[in-house]
Amino acid sequence: MRRSVVVAMIAAPLALLYASLFVGRFTVAPAEVARILWSNVYPIAHDWPASVETIVMQIRLPRAVLAMFVGAGLAASGSAYQGMFRNPLVSPDILGVTAASAFGAAVALLLSRNALELQVVAFTFGLAGVFFTYLLARVYRATPVLMLVLSGVIVAAFFSALLSGAKYVADPESKLPAITYWLLGSLNAASTRSLAMALPPIIAGSAGLMFLRWQLNVLAMGDDEARSLGVRTEALKAGVIVCTTLITAASVSVCGIVGWVGLVIPHLGRMLVGPDHRALLPMSFCIGATYLLFIDDVARTATVGEIPLGILTALIGAPFFAYLLRKTRGTWQ
Amino acid sequence: MNRRKSLIGVACLWGIGILAAGTRTHAADPDTRQLTDAAGRLVTIPAGVTRVADPWHANNSVVLMLGGADKIVATTAQAQNQPWFRRLYPRIKQVPAAFNAAGEVNIEALIGARPDVILMAYDGTLPLWTGAVSAYRVPIVMMPNRSLAELKTTVHMTGEVLGESESRVAAEYLRYFDDNIRRVTSVTSKLKSLERPKVLHTASAGVLTVDGRQSVIDDWITIAGGINAADVVGLARPVTMEQVAAWNPDVIIVGTAPNQQNRQAILDDPRWRQIKAVKDGRVFVNPSGVYLWDRHSAEAALQVLWAAKTLHPAEFADLDVGKETRNFYEKYFHYALSDDELNSILHAAPP
Repeated sequence: MRRSVVVAMIAAPLALLYASLFVGRFTVAPAEVARILWSNVYPIAHDWPASVETIVMQIRLPRAVLAMFVGAGLAASGSAYQGMFRNPLVSPDILGVTAASAFGAAVALLLSRNALELQVVAFTFGLAGVFFTYLLARVYRATPVLMLVLSGVIVAAFFSALLSGAKYVADPESKLPAITYWLLGSLNAASTRSLAMALPPIIAGSAGLMFLRWQLNVLAMGDDEARSLGVRTEALKAGVIVCTTLITAASVSVCGIVGWVGLVIPHLGRMLVGPDHRALLPMSFCIGATYLLFIDDVARTATVGEIPLGILTALIGAPFFAYLLRKTRGTWQ
Repeated sequence: MNRRKSLIGVACLWGIGILAAGTRTHAADPDTRQLTDAAGRLVTIPAGVTRVADPWHANNSVVLMLGGADKIVATTAQAQNQPWFRRLYPRIKQVPAAFNAAGEVNIEALIGARPDVILMAYDGTLPLWTGAVSAYRVPIVMMPNRSLAELKTTVHMTGEVLGESESRVAAEYLRYFDDNIRRVTSVTSKLKSLERPKVLHTASAGVLTVDGRQSVIDDWITIAGGINAADVVGLARPVTMEQVAAWNPDVIIVGTAPNQQNRQAILDDPRWRQIKAVKDGRVFVNPSGVYLWDRHSAEAALQVLWAAKTLHPAEFADLDVGKETRNFYEKYFHYALSDDELNSILHAAPP
């Protein structure tokens, strides 16, 4: 990669992160944001109201950081899966993690659990869902790609049915709207505490994918070719699945279903740096962070109420992707 | 928004029409009578109604309050699961729940219950099962539910449908309701706008939603001398934490079960700490009894008193909400509340 590309891909999310701290329904000047941030590192006189500090440090910063890591993690997961499954239509929820997490969240909402308990339950269900898929797909100590995909479809269908059941019994005055909004995706639950729970799995999973990224190039050639080159394909696939599942389950459990990011950002990355996973994964990671952060800024700023993320990621992303697709005529593959 | 406004406008016109014209006109057949419902339809119902299906969770509590609960032959799972409803009227557990949470019907269970009439909330559209049910010649009476005024219309209409004695109770209840509103507004109408606290009413906790304008909740906040802080339209709207901070409400009322737990979650969350209501210790749980007091319910008559006392404790020092509640339950639900039970209802705890 050219140095200018590397600089831009790292600088863009960080610049947007700073901008996100003074964009919102509540006006805070950029300079004031800088002073508030600085005061957390170096003691200076507090000449701003405590409420402004709460908004910047407790509400906006956790939310923006979460948006970045969720976007980055989902995009990196999508890239890894598209390589591993050798299919550009694959997204991180192919093994049923999203459906299982969503059911877990709906159960937590039905039982009136608080946001943190919801996160734990949804995360656990997500991991369990993928675990079932993996068990189901395993034949003769191998997990063929086709078996994985079909098992994922089965597990997802099963949990989707359970989710519908949960919605069916939910109280329509309060529980049903809560479940519905949760499923549409939102980062409003972001707080320092939810961040402390969501970031470790996302970071661990992303680090794992970065570590495995050159082996993904080999895996993308197919199981047999990869094996003949001396790659332990089963262990590698299991590693990729563990990493992406950690990321996706942690993301879904804290912000609901955010579609499209994991499907499309990898394509954007391929347009910019080509299909080599060594460059593609970091690139997807950075674009994903920037993209979801931008979308979330729109979601929380555009109207008095909150616009669900799932609507915006597709509504803004789809036309943009259509434009790129026409412009490049799909030749980046 | 315009469409919604025009719908509400139309609904109001109907409401006025119903009140002005009187709902009852006599049909030619002496065994039937006719009334105009909220959808503007002339509905023919039996002269004597002894079996009603009530797919509207909240309205079950109105039927109970009017003394017509023995006529309920089909209800919803939600109405059955209200802990205080079950305590005050245990038979509700045996009534078939022919309707699910989304208002969809099990048509065989409904027809098997042989209702004379179905009572339903009208939000601008007829339920999808209207056609299927009318094939069995069961009349559906649509009733409005978007404001306190429409709640009163609904109580009146429910009484009309159920019969003479229920109508008398409805008239008595509406007098009591109007007296309470007058008692409260005689004080709160004199308040200057600066003396009216900004009130945020939350509708759910796991996903933060709040109750906005053009709703029953907005109505009682205004009557009780407050201003709804949530500048959005409709019930249970999702909002960001930041928007809550920008509104900076003076009072927060937690309107979702388990209310006490949800209130504690707000008090424990650092993101809420700088909100004025939290700093001033003015975070309350909304009472909840036979139905949620804050919504379309029989206890809305008590809600205006409770809200007035909560928002303006000094101005309403002589108002004893506990005593009013005890009298109300005695009179309309024929149930003598113990001190513990009264306390549970006022703090939205199950029996």
